[in-house]
Amino acid sequence: MKLHPMIAALRRHKAGVVLIALQIALTLAIVCNAVFIIGQRIERVNRPTGLVEDNLMLVSQGWVGAPSGDQPGDVEKLDSLLQADLAALRAMPDVESVVPINSLPLLNSSWTGSVALKPGSDLRAGNARSVYYFGDEHLLKTLGLKLVAGRGFTAADVQNRGFRDSGTPAVIIVTKALADKLYPKGDALGKAIYLDGGSSPSTIIGEVERLQAPATGSWVNGFLWNATIEPFRLNANFSRYAIRTRPGRLQAVMHAVPNVLYGVSRMRVLDDDSVKSFAQIRQEAYRSDVGMAVLMGVVCLILLGVTAAGIVGLTSFWVGQRHRQIGVRRALGARKIDILHYFQMENLLISGAGAVIGLGLAIGLNMLLMKRFEMDRLPVLYVLAGIVAVMALGQGAVFAPARRASNVPPVVATRSV
Amino acid sequence: MLKMTHLSKVYRTEVVETYALRDFNIDVKEGEFVAVTGPSGSGKTTFLTIAGLLETFTGGTYHLDNIEVSQLDDNARSKIRNEKIGFIFQAFNLIPDLNVFDNVEVPLRYRGMKAPERKERIMGALERVGLASRAKHYPAELSGGQQQRVAIARALAGSPRLLLADEPTGNLDTQMARGVMELLEEIHREGATIVMVTHDPELAARAQRNVHIIDGQVVDLAEDPRFHAHVVEARQGQGRS
Repeated sequence: MKLHPMIAALRRHKAGVVLIALQIALTLAIVCNAVFIIGQRIERVNRPTGLVEDNLMLVSQGWVGAPSGDQPGDVEKLDSLLQADLAALRAMPDVESVVPINSLPLLNSSWTGSVALKPGSDLRAGNARSVYYFGDEHLLKTLGLKLVAGRGFTAADVQNRGFRDSGTPAVIIVTKALADKLYPKGDALGKAIYLDGGSSPSTIIGEVERLQAPATGSWVNGFLWNATIEPFRLNANFSRYAIRTRPGRLQAVMHAVPNVLYGVSRMRVLDDDSVKSFAQIRQEAYRSDVGMAVLMGVVCLILLGVTAAGIVGLTSFWVGQRHRQIGVRRALGARKIDILHYFQMENLLISGAGAVIGLGLAIGLNMLLMKRFEMDRLPVLYVLAGIVAVMALGQGAVFAPARRASNVPPVVATRSV
Repeated sequence: MLKMTHLSKVYRTEVVETYALRDFNIDVKEGEFVAVTGPSGSGKTTFLTIAGLLETFTGGTYHLDNIEVSQLDDNARSKIRNEKIGFIFQAFNLIPDLNVFDNVEVPLRYRGMKAPERKERIMGALERVGLASRAKHYPAELSGGQQQRVAIARALAGSPRLLLADEPTGNLDTQMARGVMELLEEIHREGATIVMVTHDPELAARAQRNVHIIDGQVVDLAEDPRFHAHVVEARQGQGRS
């Protein structure tokens, strides 16, 4: 098909052509960036935490009338309360293991600090920021963390720690990401590190494959996978217990846990949010991400729908306007398929022009988002896929009116009205 | 060249059947210039649309260039329209968005002709009608007579076996009509077969043969003294001028 007469004809309908091309360009620019953001959100939501998340739950509770932890002897008193709870929970028939912890991935309750290779250092090149997890010898088993080097904690490693204490453990487990950052040659095991600029060394005795930080905000992106696990039982006027249940018994344990704890002592606060499955924690952590992805998806669909409707409308108008002209073409020998192809090719030209403008707009919009909202660079693949999508959308939208045009009978050429 | 035998065309609605053509017979030989006349609503245009394969018919047979066309599918009919028939319409039917050159090119493009041959034929046809210098003009920039000449060039460019003209001078003033008619006569003298539908007895008289249609049937001119008188008068007038 010769394009020159088609382009010449389109030039004589500038307003409609320009409007549709711009609509396609804007659609391409917005949809490309929106789909990229949706993709990033989905990737973020689906990234593994490092935990075995099935059959895992968390209990968060506060003591009533317990010591504040600030006075001498408070830690011992709080620890006895903690130990009583642990004993009761571990005695539950459907519970496989329990660990007292300070936080969990996705809980948005973070303990962060700096890790250094030398005593008394603050954050410098070669050191790293990290999140801190506290737990006893049951931590690896309860959370399902995969140990890739060294060993886990023994009961002898575990110490008590008050909420405001700043003690340093003699031994420590780190994530592989943190180990590789501190010791890029892979020889972190057995080496000493210093926490928060302290002067007491902590020896790395184990490496776990992966453990995500509790926070989900962008501020933690730089050290999302840097975690240290310290052998502490945190003694505060609240406590958190991660519980791994036997397979399929999660709901039963979640239901039974409050009564078990009240059986130990009624002097505690357990509310509706105190007992959560890890699935609930994940859902709550990523609620805004999922919401944003859904919203952007809906906006994209609406935009694509409006663009498709615009193409259908304009093409239908042109078919009506050129009714007689189509009849003349048919009379002069055009087959139905020739008329169909004519309108499809015409749409391809308009969509192509829109795609070229849209390509520039998509990159421009991405640069703006990168500058203002710390968004990543839009991969070329997204733009190419977007171009293919808007071209396909155009062809799909033009099909019905083009088919209607192809059914205009040639005898129309002889009619005076 | 064009032979219709016992041909009929019926338009049906839920309540009524209307015969546009009934037991219609015509035989146009190669190289003839035939004028088809008749009052409004007699079936002239229906005959032309069926002859040009723009419409199907209800009964009878139609042979065009020795091809029986009733069983042909839409694509085959399009191909015959494109290769064997040249149309000249009363309303010119040029495509307003295309310039003269591109308008004449339309049927050639559907034939899949190569660009150099298309160009040669287009310029030849435009020279033939005296409008080669207007190739880049748009229809709106031409007079009615010039537009009809472009339409004739478009019909001629494909070297059709049959030219079908539907009231070719109907939208033109006398002077322009005379020019277009002279052009058709010239084309006929060069060997083209032309079937022209007209309601103008004066134009009809300039054709080689006249076919009169009344109520969808061809009638013998000798049995219609009124029409016969018109034709004789027109021919005498032509002789005087």
